[in-house]
Amino acid sequence: MGASLLVCSALALAQAGALDLEGHATNPLTASSNKVVVLVFLRRDCPVSARYAPAVQQISKRYADVAQFWLVYPDKTETPQAIRKSVSEYGYQLPVLRDPDHVLVKASRVQITPEVAVFDGSRRLIYDGRIDDWYIDLARARPAPTTHELEEAIRAAAGGSSLARKEVRGVGCYISDLE
Amino acid sequence: MSLGVRSSGLVLLLGCACGLAPLVAPPAAPAPPAKSAKPITFNRDIAPIVFRSCAPCHRPGEAAPFSLLTYSDVKKHARQMAEVTRSRAMPPWLPEPQELKFADELRLSKTEIDLIQKWVEQDEVEGDAADLPAQPKFVEGWSLGQPDLILKAEKPLVLPPQGTDTYWNFILPVPIAETRWVKAVEIRPGDKRYVHHANILVDRTGASRQRETEPGAGFGGMEIRIESQVFDPDSHLLFWKPGTIPSVEPEGMALRLDKGTDLVLNTHLQPSGKPEVIQPSIGLYFTPHPASKFPMLVQLENDLKLDIPPGENNFVVTDNFTLPLDVNLMAIYPHAHYLGKDIQAWATLPDGTSETLIHIPQWNLNWQAVYRYARPALLPKGTTISLRYAYDNSDRNPMNPNHPPLRVQGGNRSTDEMCHLWLQLLPVNFDPSEGDPRMVLQEALARHNVEKNPGDFEAHYNLAAMLEARNNLEGATAQYRAAVELRPQDAAGNNALGAALVAAGHPAQAANYLRAALKARPDYFEAHYNLGFALAQQEDFAGASEQFQRAFELQPHDASVEANLGAALAQMGRYPEAKSHFEHALQLDPNQPIARENLDELRKETNQQ
Repeated sequence: MGASLLVCSALALAQAGALDLEGHATNPLTASSNKVVVLVFLRRDCPVSARYAPAVQQISKRYADVAQFWLVYPDKTETPQAIRKSVSEYGYQLPVLRDPDHVLVKASRVQITPEVAVFDGSRRLIYDGRIDDWYIDLARARPAPTTHELEEAIRAAAGGSSLARKEVRGVGCYISDLE
Repeated sequence: MSLGVRSSGLVLLLGCACGLAPLVAPPAAPAPPAKSAKPITFNRDIAPIVFRSCAPCHRPGEAAPFSLLTYSDVKKHARQMAEVTRSRAMPPWLPEPQELKFADELRLSKTEIDLIQKWVEQDEVEGDAADLPAQPKFVEGWSLGQPDLILKAEKPLVLPPQGTDTYWNFILPVPIAETRWVKAVEIRPGDKRYVHHANILVDRTGASRQRETEPGAGFGGMEIRIESQVFDPDSHLLFWKPGTIPSVEPEGMALRLDKGTDLVLNTHLQPSGKPEVIQPSIGLYFTPHPASKFPMLVQLENDLKLDIPPGENNFVVTDNFTLPLDVNLMAIYPHAHYLGKDIQAWATLPDGTSETLIHIPQWNLNWQAVYRYARPALLPKGTTISLRYAYDNSDRNPMNPNHPPLRVQGGNRSTDEMCHLWLQLLPVNFDPSEGDPRMVLQEALARHNVEKNPGDFEAHYNLAAMLEARNNLEGATAQYRAAVELRPQDAAGNNALGAALVAAGHPAQAANYLRAALKARPDYFEAHYNLGFALAQQEDFAGASEQFQRAFELQPHDASVEANLGAALAQMGRYPEAKSHFEHALQLDPNQPIARENLDELRKETNQQ
């Protein structure tokens, strides 16, 4: 399963791929040296995405030595200017991609913003889903999260432990609503 | 003479009845799709629901995070909309349907929810442009037009990008030279996307200002309490939640604002992911007509019974209060914190029938609200109002602030719990010769609280203060005594008992309690003043002048202390000193009656000599 997924992802990315904010095709899986790759899928109009900004920034700093984070905006109607402004307002210091054709969305199997995808050094997708369990549903959030799926996945991927692929769906806004 | 500090016992909150309603006539509910299985379309079936029930908040400048005004807006959130309407997370409306209807009810019908689900299943068809209803029209800016007076928080609060929710109180002084009557209040809480709710407390005492570290800075805290020296009960529920459109108070029910009043805006703010600047303002709309109807906020509660063991998932608290007169129930405001689960209140009428006042089966503090009834509900004398709140302090309650759960008791911090139910009641069909009907209501409530918590100092104290205000000195003295027996060292309790005994003509007994008050708090102005009075009544003028002197040192601008000091000195024959105190009292207050009368007497006697 893992192997065939890797092939799929590689093929898909070779075909189209995501764009950086200058409009250059960029493949985060090949542009991240041999670090773990974390794709964070966001929508500007999703308040849950927005509220996670400080946590995402902090986790990316904590694991900067082992993991390369990318912010991915899958809304094809978003302009680079609007994304740039939002990224700066939320204090992100991470590279940003647009994914108008949902190539990264499909390779990552994510469904919601905010969700993350974690690829290990050999570019195997080992986790996709929520960052943690902060939100219970769209009406309720815990005072603080009690699970930390993203951090666990980064540690597993960086440690090379051969964990079974995992997915835990997030709470937020559907990416499929953008199609 | 000062009769000491009285607590109104009111902890919070209140305001104008507000609700969510579009400013245009709502489109009629959509007809169910015909059996010919015509596809459900946005333009014909979905837009009317969205324009009426979503767009008031989902538009630029309002509380919602994205707009829902066009087909493409809605399509970008279609599955999300299907999910949140199915779970009834949106539109936010916590109460179950009931016979006694609320105004501005936001609940979608089952037919509407089903239509949204089917539309999404059928691939979100846009439909015929001719079917699209007109875009809803909303008033830009102040909803009721330019306010007569706009108050703006002096200093904004910078909300940090992350962390737990913030509860902040902004103090807005009301710059008026005389008493004004307010027919409507519009709360603009700052950036509406980050304010969960806000409510106004009317502070006529200036007490809240004392809590600011610097003027205009505001202060933190989820619950605040303003004590009142006189019987002046709160009357209005002045509340804002997302989507609130202010309304004008019913005829005759204007809110009184006196010179020197502060409005305290108690806000619940949620971090957004980036720093946000929050600077609320309040618009006031005046009327020349003073109030002719006097509603009153009545609180049922049972915080002292809140002691919830960790892990307990169904801790039940109740309270029952029987009305001493006929009232119209205007509005209701239930309040609990994060452990609240199932919240119910009902009325049992004298004929035994019962009526649900509110039932919230899944409490959510984030969507707390004031609920106005569509029509006032008459509750006759003898009706018992009951509350039953259930709390979940287990790990299964995801909102539990403690992980793992801890013992939780009643209190003002957001991690404590509360069991409060505010009712806006308008006394009706009463006999004006029996006095202010609100006092009848307050006395019954205070008696109920003493019965409920016989070991509670404050319950006895508040009942005593109410009886004293109604000139029942014997009853007041007995209740102050009960309070002092519970807290023999309490300065305020001893002072109040002493003051009531002075008023009842027992100065010797009074002096003992006033001395106890001063032992507990040597710089207690009121106790010195009252002791001076008690000693003067016993013709111990030397002792009295000593107490008045001490009181005057504590409050050198108090004209009545100066006048009483002069009177005590005059009684001792020390006329020149007395005269200078009377003269000083009149400098402080040219109308001080004791000083004026005594000075006239002194001058007459001097002239006769």
